[in-house]
Amino acid sequence: MKNLFKNRWKRWVNRRIPRADVQLLSQKNIFILPTGAGTVFGVLLLVMLITGINYQNSLIYLTTFLLGAVFVGAMHQTHRNLSGLEVTLVQTGEGIAGEELPFRIRATAGRDNAIAIRLSCDGSGLGAAHISAGQAKDLTLPVPSVHRGYLRPDRIRIETRFPFGLLKAWSWIRPASYGIVFPRPVPAPDVGISVEDGSDSENSSPAEGNDHADLRPWREGDMSQRVMWKRYARSGQMVVAEWEGEQGSPYWLDFNAFPGTNHELRLSYLAWLVAERDRSGIPFGLSLPGQLIEPDSGASHVNRCLRALAVYGEKRPREMDSVRHGTRLQPDAAGSGFAEEGV
Amino acid sequence: MRGLKERSGAVSEVPSPTSGLPSRAVLWLIGSFALLLTPQLDRLPIWLIAACAVLAVWRCLAQYGRVRLPGRWLRAGIMLVLISVYVATVRGRFSVDTAASFFVLAVGLKWLETRSSRDFYVLFFILVYLSTVNFLFHQEIHWTLVNLAAIAALLVGLQVLNAPDFPGAMKASWRRLGLLLAKTLPIVVLLFVFFPRMSPLWSVPLVSGEARSGISDTMRPGDISSLAQSSERAFRVTFGGEMPAYRDRYWRGLVLDYLDGETWRQVAGGGYQRPGRVALDGGVGDLGPRQYDVLLEPTDKRWAFALENSRAVSANVVEESEDLFRFKRPADTSVRYRLEREATENRGATSLPPAEARRYLQLPATGNPRARDLADNLRRRLTDSEVLQALLTRFREQPYFYTLRPPQMPDNGIDTLLFDAKRGFCAHYAGATVFVLRAAGIPARVVVGYQGGDRGAGGDYLIVRQYDAHAWVEAWIEGRGWVRVDPTAAIAPDRIESGLREAVAEEGSFLEDDWTSPQRYNDIPIIQWASLQLDRINYQWQRWVVGYQGQSQMDLMSRLPGGFGLKELGYLSAGIVGAGLLVASLMSAWQVRRGERRDAFRRIVDTWHLLCFRAGVPVRTGETPTALAERLGRAEPAVAESARLFARTVNSHYYSDNPTEGRDDQLQRLRRLLATMKKQMRRSHSTAGKRP
Repeated sequence: MKNLFKNRWKRWVNRRIPRADVQLLSQKNIFILPTGAGTVFGVLLLVMLITGINYQNSLIYLTTFLLGAVFVGAMHQTHRNLSGLEVTLVQTGEGIAGEELPFRIRATAGRDNAIAIRLSCDGSGLGAAHISAGQAKDLTLPVPSVHRGYLRPDRIRIETRFPFGLLKAWSWIRPASYGIVFPRPVPAPDVGISVEDGSDSENSSPAEGNDHADLRPWREGDMSQRVMWKRYARSGQMVVAEWEGEQGSPYWLDFNAFPGTNHELRLSYLAWLVAERDRSGIPFGLSLPGQLIEPDSGASHVNRCLRALAVYGEKRPREMDSVRHGTRLQPDAAGSGFAEEGV
Repeated sequence: MRGLKERSGAVSEVPSPTSGLPSRAVLWLIGSFALLLTPQLDRLPIWLIAACAVLAVWRCLAQYGRVRLPGRWLRAGIMLVLISVYVATVRGRFSVDTAASFFVLAVGLKWLETRSSRDFYVLFFILVYLSTVNFLFHQEIHWTLVNLAAIAALLVGLQVLNAPDFPGAMKASWRRLGLLLAKTLPIVVLLFVFFPRMSPLWSVPLVSGEARSGISDTMRPGDISSLAQSSERAFRVTFGGEMPAYRDRYWRGLVLDYLDGETWRQVAGGGYQRPGRVALDGGVGDLGPRQYDVLLEPTDKRWAFALENSRAVSANVVEESEDLFRFKRPADTSVRYRLEREATENRGATSLPPAEARRYLQLPATGNPRARDLADNLRRRLTDSEVLQALLTRFREQPYFYTLRPPQMPDNGIDTLLFDAKRGFCAHYAGATVFVLRAAGIPARVVVGYQGGDRGAGGDYLIVRQYDAHAWVEAWIEGRGWVRVDPTAAIAPDRIESGLREAVAEEGSFLEDDWTSPQRYNDIPIIQWASLQLDRINYQWQRWVVGYQGQSQMDLMSRLPGGFGLKELGYLSAGIVGAGLLVASLMSAWQVRRGERRDAFRRIVDTWHLLCFRAGVPVRTGETPTALAERLGRAEPAVAESARLFARTVNSHYYSDNPTEGRDDQLQRLRRLLATMKKQMRRSHSTAGKRP
């Protein structure tokens, strides 16, 4: 029953507040209710009124009415505190799963000061911020992430309880843009490296069919890293190991290099490997089913790889909740090129 | 996940780990507490005030990091000690007074654990209710202002709590609060006038169970002289017609008819009666020529003071035997009541039933032999009224003195007074007179009340103070009924003609212990004037604002057209609240509109931008209408044509030197186009939605 009501309420709010990165708070999308303290205050006023009636005390009546008027006045004050405020999601964050992603939000006050505004999202929140009339302020809200993929908070709450804390006025911004959550790195077992270190390539190459390696003589143009130097030391032959589809090479980080582990763990391994490779400065490529990133190095390459890992198999969130308009707005161009395939 | 939880835990309401609350907010709270205590200083036990002061100072110092707040065990110890002291002093009596002390104690203890904003709100609520309780004890204008100031301080404290680091918060808070009150004041005043004053719903505990200064229902020889050192107000009276002369202002309170050793008591009426509901309706309308209104300060007793031969007019006093008046509920707050003097004197001059006569002739079996001898002497020679006269003559002619400093008369006090010391106060003489009369076989009783009363500012009402307390005698004379006999009048006529001040002027003992009383400095005109003006303001305040209750409201309403009853008033109040809310929301809507009032074209273009945004084509900075229309057309082919037309119209308004159409026509067209686009988009989506 409660759930049903909750869902209905949620749908109703979602209809009222469409997904958008800009939200102008007004009568239409500000909600206001007494806080816990406000409810107690109401009860207190009632008790005061009864005291006034039973003791026939005019001054208690007067005080009760005064405080009641303060309460109603506070309602307007609290509402006006939020009304006219424009909230813009300026920048979405990137981060590792389980950590918080910084979302930068710009709040621009309207005609009135916006005092003690608090942003919060999924249990994480910011302290009170004050924005003078007509001014703007950038706030960085940490949004908690649970798993890798696209992170688009359903709602970011903008709340104020000023002036007396007896009432809370709030609204939500429902961002259209999303942040990217990278897989949490997990140290990978020595799979790719064992090829290099193993005494025998046949033994060391993974048994799985896909990762079967061919050995062929060295030819002009082969990278020196691919030469099986141990074999050369033993037999004097320059032999090059060639994996099927260029996979399993130490310069290629391969999704298929971890037999028997599930996807998420593989992605975590790969994320760790990306960081490893980046640290050692060795160029590397990334091979994911249906997607290949050519070997390269540098920050933007690393970022590209991490993004690919983050959104692997994930569906990009739609622009709108309802299917009314398609997804034409591309808030973040990076990562958009290879995110369409599903597994 | 664990990291998540930790983090969300860290983002609680309070930023600072040491004490959590902004210092200034706590200071305002403590300031408000101090203000709220001032009206109670005279009532609260000293230990409680001291404890509160210590705890509040402790909290203050802790706020600034000078000391630490006590740990759990120390706190529990302090709590235990203070609460046991409280329980020991209260001893199971329950009244608002004891409850208020408990509130104060609770606040005092709470200072030690105000750490979070939750504690702050708990204190806020207790303090607001404490101010309410204060109003039960004090309703004078200045205490009202103190209470309201305390509430204002609380509200400022709340604002500081909610925006601690807002620059210039203090000034802004006061300003905001002031504006808020100014805006809502009309509603508050209307509600105050029109909110239906229902009769009490149930009987509530007495405000105070403690004895207050004032006359009591027992009289020992020294009692009233200690009361004479107090200039506190007992009651105020407004007369409908002429004020009676000073010497006739005998305010009868109660009758003491039983002599128990040295002490006079009441034989009847001692039993406990459950206090009734509060009844403050003291009669309305203009006073008749023989009527008078008494506004009694709280006494916590049932008796009402009345002139001789009075009759109850208002319903909150009832006449009882012995021509006395009683409230149904002890006067635990100030009460107004109305009486009328009867035109015919000496009513009830019938015979005294034997049981009554026995009661008024009671004397202890032994003691005071010389007084008994005197009575026998008189009895043998004279009739009842002659005995009276003889006794008064004795007081008048022999060197008896009226003094606030009577000597100690431990054994056979009446003998000592009558034959040796000859110095005493009204209570001494009244007691001795009744003793002698009873010994002489004349039924007699001591009457306790007030005698006199000074005119207030403007001369239109009387102020009777505690030092006007008086005791006199009534004797039963066959054929005349109860006759008032005042030995003090014989000994010190000044006391009866013009009051205690003149009566003890030579002695210089008038209010000798009370340095702060303005009455003590009555010979300085400016003090006299100021104190009387203040009293007048308070009197009007009490009559018209504080006393605005059931009947007074009905009286006012009956003067207005419409004939409102309680029910109509209820509707009216609801209407006032509703209208207030409506006006407020209209005002705020108007303010919003004013903020948004812009060029009509600008508004339409904004709406269009919104439409584009919803269609997934947000406006880019510096984009021309035409370019936007093109993009919209690509996204929503259905509206392409209308969009292009719209953009052209906008361009021709903004950029063409001499537009072909008039301004209004352009606006019209833009509105039409906008509507068309909306419709087209809806239609294209509904058809698109049907396709799988």
